[in-house]
Amino acid sequence: MPAQLKLNGRLTIEDLNALTEMPVEGITYDQMYIEKEPICPEYKEPDQDIIPSSKRTVVVDPGRICMPFGAMWASVGIHKCIPFVQGAQGCTTYPRYTFSRIFREPVSIATASFHEDTAVFGGRKNFIEGIRNLIIRYHPEVIAIITVCSSEIIGDDMEGYLDESIDELEEEFGPEITDEVKFAIIHTPSFTGSHVEGYNRAAAAFLKALAKRSTPEPKVNIIPGMITPGDIREIKHILRLMDIESTILFDISETLDCPLRLPQTMPYYPKGGTRINDIVNMGNSLATFALCPDAGGAGAKYLEKRFKVPAMIGPMPMGIYNTDFFIKNLAERTGKPVAEEIKDERGILIDAMADTFHYTMGRRVAIYGDPDIAAAVTRFVCELGMEPAIVGSGTESKQFVEEVWAAAHEYDYKPILLNGGDMFEWEDYIKKEKIDLILSNSKAANISKEAKVPLVRIGFPVYDRVGCQRRATVGYRGSEYLLDLIVNTLLESKFPDDRLQQ
Amino acid sequence: MSVPEKYKLKCDISIPERYKHHVLTNAEKPNIPACNVKTIPGDMTERGCAFAGSRGVVGGPIGDCIQIIHSPAGCAWYQWGTRRNLSAVYAWAGQDTLCNDSHNRRRAITTDLQEKDVVFGGMEKLEKTCFEAWRLIPGAAGILIYTTCTSGLIGDDCYSVARRVEKKIGRPVFVIDAPGFSGVSQSTGHHHFNVQFYDQMLEYRKKCPEVCMKKDEMGPYDIAIIGEFNMDWDLVYIKPLFEKLGCRIVSVFTGGERMENLLKIPDVKLNVLHCQRSCTYISKLIKEGFQVPYIDASFFGIEQTASALRGVADFFGSQKMKEKAEQIIEEEIRCITPAIDFYREKLTGKKVGMYVGGPRVWHWQRVMKELGMEVVFSMCTFAHEDDYEKINARSKNGLFVVDNPNEFEIEECLEKFKPDLFLTGLKEKYLCRKLGVPTVNSHSYEKGPYACFRGMVNFARDIYQGVYAPVWKFVNL
Repeated sequence: MPAQLKLNGRLTIEDLNALTEMPVEGITYDQMYIEKEPICPEYKEPDQDIIPSSKRTVVVDPGRICMPFGAMWASVGIHKCIPFVQGAQGCTTYPRYTFSRIFREPVSIATASFHEDTAVFGGRKNFIEGIRNLIIRYHPEVIAIITVCSSEIIGDDMEGYLDESIDELEEEFGPEITDEVKFAIIHTPSFTGSHVEGYNRAAAAFLKALAKRSTPEPKVNIIPGMITPGDIREIKHILRLMDIESTILFDISETLDCPLRLPQTMPYYPKGGTRINDIVNMGNSLATFALCPDAGGAGAKYLEKRFKVPAMIGPMPMGIYNTDFFIKNLAERTGKPVAEEIKDERGILIDAMADTFHYTMGRRVAIYGDPDIAAAVTRFVCELGMEPAIVGSGTESKQFVEEVWAAAHEYDYKPILLNGGDMFEWEDYIKKEKIDLILSNSKAANISKEAKVPLVRIGFPVYDRVGCQRRATVGYRGSEYLLDLIVNTLLESKFPDDRLQQ
Repeated sequence: MSVPEKYKLKCDISIPERYKHHVLTNAEKPNIPACNVKTIPGDMTERGCAFAGSRGVVGGPIGDCIQIIHSPAGCAWYQWGTRRNLSAVYAWAGQDTLCNDSHNRRRAITTDLQEKDVVFGGMEKLEKTCFEAWRLIPGAAGILIYTTCTSGLIGDDCYSVARRVEKKIGRPVFVIDAPGFSGVSQSTGHHHFNVQFYDQMLEYRKKCPEVCMKKDEMGPYDIAIIGEFNMDWDLVYIKPLFEKLGCRIVSVFTGGERMENLLKIPDVKLNVLHCQRSCTYISKLIKEGFQVPYIDASFFGIEQTASALRGVADFFGSQKMKEKAEQIIEEEIRCITPAIDFYREKLTGKKVGMYVGGPRVWHWQRVMKELGMEVVFSMCTFAHEDDYEKINARSKNGLFVVDNPNEFEIEECLEKFKPDLFLTGLKEKYLCRKLGVPTVNSHSYEKGPYACFRGMVNFARDIYQGVYAPVWKFVNL
């Protein structure tokens, strides 16, 4: 390759250090050419026998993170709620780092700061001291007590510690102190499940701790699952058009996407989030809609079992079929008619599909994500005439398998299904099969570049693009946005410029 | 040695033990805050865990090894391609292509411990995982196994597994045992990595003497750069400076480095120690074990980089090298003066707050001065006494310093000292910006590299862009 072409305007390390005057704007890494060195001189093929997850023990590039993370995600959707993580400092710092990367927002999470002595003697002292310090300085309205691997292994008795902690608080600050703050304990040992289950357990734990039944109210509960602030806003928009009162549990739309408006409170609290009283009232609703079966379904089931509030669990309202299903159920449960505006929104999505099927039909798609999102995306790409060739969920889920097969049978496809498989396995299929488009999260960015298959970013986590947290991919309008992303990506990658003037 | 009343942070009234962590600096009689001690539970600390220190900071940059996290999937996921510790070593993506990201950041490899492993032990799983990872990434130069809270608590004997795997694959397999709960902060993880890596390196060099540098390969000016992690390719500016001086850089511990070079560190003539918090341990061990001396150096800013070059030249003692050092310094300063003058003019008199792990807080005191900025307060996550001594020595007298700050203290200091810019990490960045204070990412940088003379132009530009971004005009209604 000619040297100039290879450098593509970049400077080699020698050139860079030979410059006699640095430009005022500096020279950053992207302007440098650094020769890649292969890990070993000759290509060595990975052992093909153990590429499928089922044929090996090692997990390479897991599509799931730890269970406490899901519980923290849920908890920060509650107004003035601070999660208290009963574990080592990393169990708080890493999730905070992850939230910041995705949402570009501050997230306050407290830690019990386990050190060696805690591992030996247990976390009682750290817990009681930590809860006291948190309450007296931050005055949270709710504390979500979240366990992790270490506290579960050493067998910390959280319920007992909490009782003791409350006794000590009342002694030091008077009995009123506990009127100000509510608690929920969420057990999340990571070795028994992923972040999806963590969110699920948080939903059940908060409702068990707080929800009551008094006077029935003509409203619905929504448990959104791990979807974006933009998604939650879209759900609110639908409910507004339908004139339906609602409580959204874990409403991150105003806690993980907040305005910069001075002055702020000190300590900083986002102004939004689900109010405690609304959670208490969730036992009085007409129905609970858990939009993600695996992330939140347990909360809906609890309300049904305990207070006879009917549970409407999944599927995630994305695309035509799933959103129709959601709207139809909303209308049935509340007795409200489907608003004209909603029918128009549906019509606009259909119109967009009618305008673009020549771009989408026959395209082979690889999908990977959390189970509920991956299943919903699968059905939507089928509706667009695309073939879901490889569908993976990082978290194992029965519902995911059922939903994907239902869509695949209906549209007569036979996707390769990876239920709980890692991204390494999924990547291998992409590199071997003929794939036109990837629908996955930021963790697929390297795969996309290596396989030269374009990527549409969706699901958790997206951290290498801005604004994804503000955009909705649920409802008719959200699906329309996702359709635009998909089609524009195909236009960019698959169509020569002279074909775009239709 | 408590601070005067006007420096007492209100947010700590209910946890007064925090006041021991606050001091005002004094160059003559250094004031050292309580440091490197346990965190107060529930105080909203910004500290991380020992695993972050070992895998994330010190081990993370190693270029050509398989790094296995013996834990449930979460811990491995969090370490996957986060820190911008870059490397030129790339794994094969196919017959004729290399991966899109350097090997150390490309994958997350884990034993994914499950409940049954917690009950019955995870050693068998670890052994299988090592062999399988070796078959999936066959070109790697060795394996590093990291323990976490889970594997630490269930008490797996990872060392015995490592020795068995090592025997079979014929490459070094090292264990870094630094579970998250060990020690008070990331700093413990740095320490564990240093000591355990050194011990296993020693053992491996004995077992396989062919990995040591041959006598005839050794040069008179062989050096290793210790405690440099190649954030955003800092090495692009660091290495050529010493090469121009006439040194040969045999190894970098650990920025983007290959295992074969790491094993040769004891064979050099001098270790140049950059991060004096995370890597003094191994420098001392090599000095004791191999009589290889080390010198402290700082590669940030004009004066400090110059003095690092002079220090190395003085060590080797040749007049020619000393002259060369002066010539390099003069050329480099001439090269960056127009750019730095531009930024100094814009930044003179601006106030800056600083919150980094430890060393950068003292590395950067003089850099700020060189840019004409006034440091109004400083904070360190995991600094020890020696770091605070250096902060006392390098800052103006009476600088307010906080050890292991928590979120509330940061907020209060931002309000109290009203800095024009805050140098901090990613977690704190969005809090500060929400309060209207610009930040520059001081861990992974905004658009680096920041090291040495030429990198300082990037650092100055990012600071300038932070302070002068038009958005700040619109924040106040």
